[in-house]
Amino acid sequence: MASAEELRDKQAESNKEVKNAACLWPINPIVTFEQVYDPKVCPEEQREFSGVLESWVHPNLAMGKAEALKGIRILDCGLGGYQLNTHWGTGQLGELGAEVIMVEPPGGSPLRKLTPFGRKKYMFQDVFGGECGGTFLHECRNKQSITLNLENEEGREIFKKLVRHVDVVWENAPPGQFDAWGIGYRQLSKINPRLVYVWCGQRGQWGPLKDRPGEVYPCGDASNGWVHGTGMPESFGGTPMRAGERAADLICGSLATHGTLAALIYRLKSGQGQFIEVTGAEGHMRILDYSYGWHGMDGSIRPRYGNWDLAINIYSVNPCKDGYMMIGGGHDRLWYRIWKAVGKDRPELEDMILDEPTLRVVVDRVGHDQQVKTCTILTDWLKDQTRDESRRKLLEEEVAAGGVSFIDEVSEEQHYKYRRHVHAIQTLHYGKILFGDTLYQGHKTPGRVKNLGRPVGYDNQDVFMKFFGYGPNKLNELVDKGII
Amino acid sequence: MSEHLDKLPFEEYCKTVFNKDTLYEKPEALAGFRGLSCTMYILGPAAANYLAELGAQVMKIEVPRMGEPMRHCAPYNEPWYYPCSRWNPGRGTSPAFQGANNNEYFITMDYRKEECKELFYSLIRKSDFMIWNYRPRTFDRWKIGYRYCKDVNPRVVLLWEGGFGGYGPGRNWASYDILGQAKGGCFSITGWQAGKPCGFPSKHTTWIMDYHCGMMGSHFLLAMLYWRDAVSKEGNFGELSQVQGSTRKTEYALPLWGRHGVVRMRWGNWDTELCVNGIIRCGKSSYPDSENPQEKEVGYILVSAYENEEFAKLMKLIGRNDLLEKYGKSDDRVEANAQEELYPALEEWAADKTKEEVEGIMTQNGIRSQPVWNTKEVVNHPHWNERGSMMWYDDPYYGDVLTQGPIYKMSDTPPRVKYVHRPVGADNEEIYQGLLGVPLDKIKEMESKEMI
Repeated sequence: MASAEELRDKQAESNKEVKNAACLWPINPIVTFEQVYDPKVCPEEQREFSGVLESWVHPNLAMGKAEALKGIRILDCGLGGYQLNTHWGTGQLGELGAEVIMVEPPGGSPLRKLTPFGRKKYMFQDVFGGECGGTFLHECRNKQSITLNLENEEGREIFKKLVRHVDVVWENAPPGQFDAWGIGYRQLSKINPRLVYVWCGQRGQWGPLKDRPGEVYPCGDASNGWVHGTGMPESFGGTPMRAGERAADLICGSLATHGTLAALIYRLKSGQGQFIEVTGAEGHMRILDYSYGWHGMDGSIRPRYGNWDLAINIYSVNPCKDGYMMIGGGHDRLWYRIWKAVGKDRPELEDMILDEPTLRVVVDRVGHDQQVKTCTILTDWLKDQTRDESRRKLLEEEVAAGGVSFIDEVSEEQHYKYRRHVHAIQTLHYGKILFGDTLYQGHKTPGRVKNLGRPVGYDNQDVFMKFFGYGPNKLNELVDKGII
Repeated sequence: MSEHLDKLPFEEYCKTVFNKDTLYEKPEALAGFRGLSCTMYILGPAAANYLAELGAQVMKIEVPRMGEPMRHCAPYNEPWYYPCSRWNPGRGTSPAFQGANNNEYFITMDYRKEECKELFYSLIRKSDFMIWNYRPRTFDRWKIGYRYCKDVNPRVVLLWEGGFGGYGPGRNWASYDILGQAKGGCFSITGWQAGKPCGFPSKHTTWIMDYHCGMMGSHFLLAMLYWRDAVSKEGNFGELSQVQGSTRKTEYALPLWGRHGVVRMRWGNWDTELCVNGIIRCGKSSYPDSENPQEKEVGYILVSAYENEEFAKLMKLIGRNDLLEKYGKSDDRVEANAQEELYPALEEWAADKTKEEVEGIMTQNGIRSQPVWNTKEVVNHPHWNERGSMMWYDDPYYGDVLTQGPIYKMSDTPPRVKYVHRPVGADNEEIYQGLLGVPLDKIKEMESKEMI
């Protein structure tokens, strides 16, 4: 292991190179306040309100403000496998100001190695010559990294000592693994009764379907009815469909963040920590809107309905000239405005809709035949419109509409750039990275992303020195033993 | 107690501390917190709902008589919970409303009316938080937005949630769940690849962007409450955009585009980063005699064998040693062309099997699989019932209701479902009289003026 000085020299040397690594963003310059709220087009009261709102919450003003979770220390031990739940969730806590320490197996988390189609050329180099994939990098927010071999007795002893100093532990190992190792909640709560301990998984750590080792997304979503309900109907040539992103893992992480904070709030009163279990399957099942209430009422099995909506007409995505277009407006107010916009180009289509008796009443037009009729007529108009054209025409009538945007289009959307939904930062070790910025825009305690990514074990020296007084010699010894 | 727990095998231990039957004996994490939910549709209601499940007293304000629009928005316009309200006994509430409004107190108020302002302020004075998802400037115009509330109650924590956010070039754009999916990026990475049957972008079937971003708003609010109670004693304000959530969730897409100029596209039911980890078609239906087309269709199953040894086992099992030789190395088989070869081979093998048969064979051979279950199969699986994630609930208003269980499990202060929801304005007396002390005749008067 290199000394701190050596590391620093090496970093300074290679920093130059990585810093120059290309970032294609932004292609068009970001609009300014004066352009956005130009008095010629923006009414004064809107300008005033937006100005005040921006002065409260614009992320450009976040640095230097208080952090909501300052002083909360979290160990993320969920990095032994390919689930994204803990990495995503503790990233959120990191954005909110908690001190998150990733505990990785020596050599680094397997998640680091994930890259689309296994292609090394899509990975990101750090200044020490290490590399990691985009998914790991994107969720590695404000985190520190240490390595610790929890399969090793001595590693676990060190872990137990570390737990004295932390508020929260997250893990997603196979059910009972940590408990069998003597570092589950039962054991750790004796060392640190204030500890909040979170387990994340696919379907659970107990019960007939408890997780088997190696379970990953979309296991949870296949088991809770979500995949079955997503995608096109069989009669349309479709199949059930998983989400592109690891939807259930992300929901699991967000809920685990929720549970952690609820437990921390309760701890202010009780002084005690607790054990929390969150699964992607149940988290996503919980938000599967009316599927289960509907089944309970009359035994209906929620069918796949492609890009249309079972409960609202119209609220659907249909093909247009240059892609796919989402248009929504079920209630009369919006419904007639949609057809007004269509009627400007194609009056006969507007007439067809207005003359159709089964489409007149909101609740009548939700039926399947009515949806087919509606979308067929709408698509006859859309086929000659690009996403932008149709959107402009619908926005004139104040109808919510938008095309299906690909990530390059998302990155260049002025609204997103202005609000920092999409942003690029100069990271400490990986050059300039384009990323999705924090959702937590707030007045006194906004979330913020200070850094992305962390080389494996970068914080070993700091953390082991801070908590145990281990110097370089002791660390080298631990490296030799395969413990860190 | 503790000693007894220490001796239990781990699974028994979990069953004990997370037991669904002892939920109601335990304290609630957010007991003593009170807040307002001035919300409609899903994004806002969901955020408040998660807090209500943890024990906060959430007062949901709806417009008098009809309530919020989500009550009137049902699949195929089918089933309804009756009554919608005491003023409207002939109408019902849609099941779409259920699940986003558990455990709340339902009151009504027409905030647009000048004479309601004081009433609203008196609720704010008694609240720890407020969540709303009207258009950005609406509450400010009605003088009940952040700059007014923070003077009324300096300790109140406010969260505004909206589609595109409250400021910026698109501040006037409205959004829906599916629009967020489409404009934010998640829609473009879901669905089959171009060239395959149905090879176009596909929406996520649930109102996932609303629910998930509501969840993130909810924990943002918890963080602000924590900061208030543990650190500053001060109120706070946060805003959260739902469309942004859709962008935030695209994983490697943004870094990949920014650095390498590659646009993340759809990869159907397969996995861009692991192989084998995909959903395959089984040629036989599990219920060939069913009259319900949802059951009659063929089955699908997730097969997961991405480690080298597992992959070798799987290839031997389906008799494709040639593929094992070719793609024995992990990086090789994750490549696009390899996946195009491997999954069809698996589907060929499964062509004469049901998903249950495939699952049985996989389990016997130590390979992970998970059938793609439909609503009915999920409802009837003992796992979810045993864990309390799916249950029949004896609701005081609506009778037997099938509902999902609490959001997650906690050993000491578990979230719980007390009732699914109530009719519009059902708690007007309880809140206006019980909490604020408004006399009943005054409540009647407000009601006749349609203030409430």
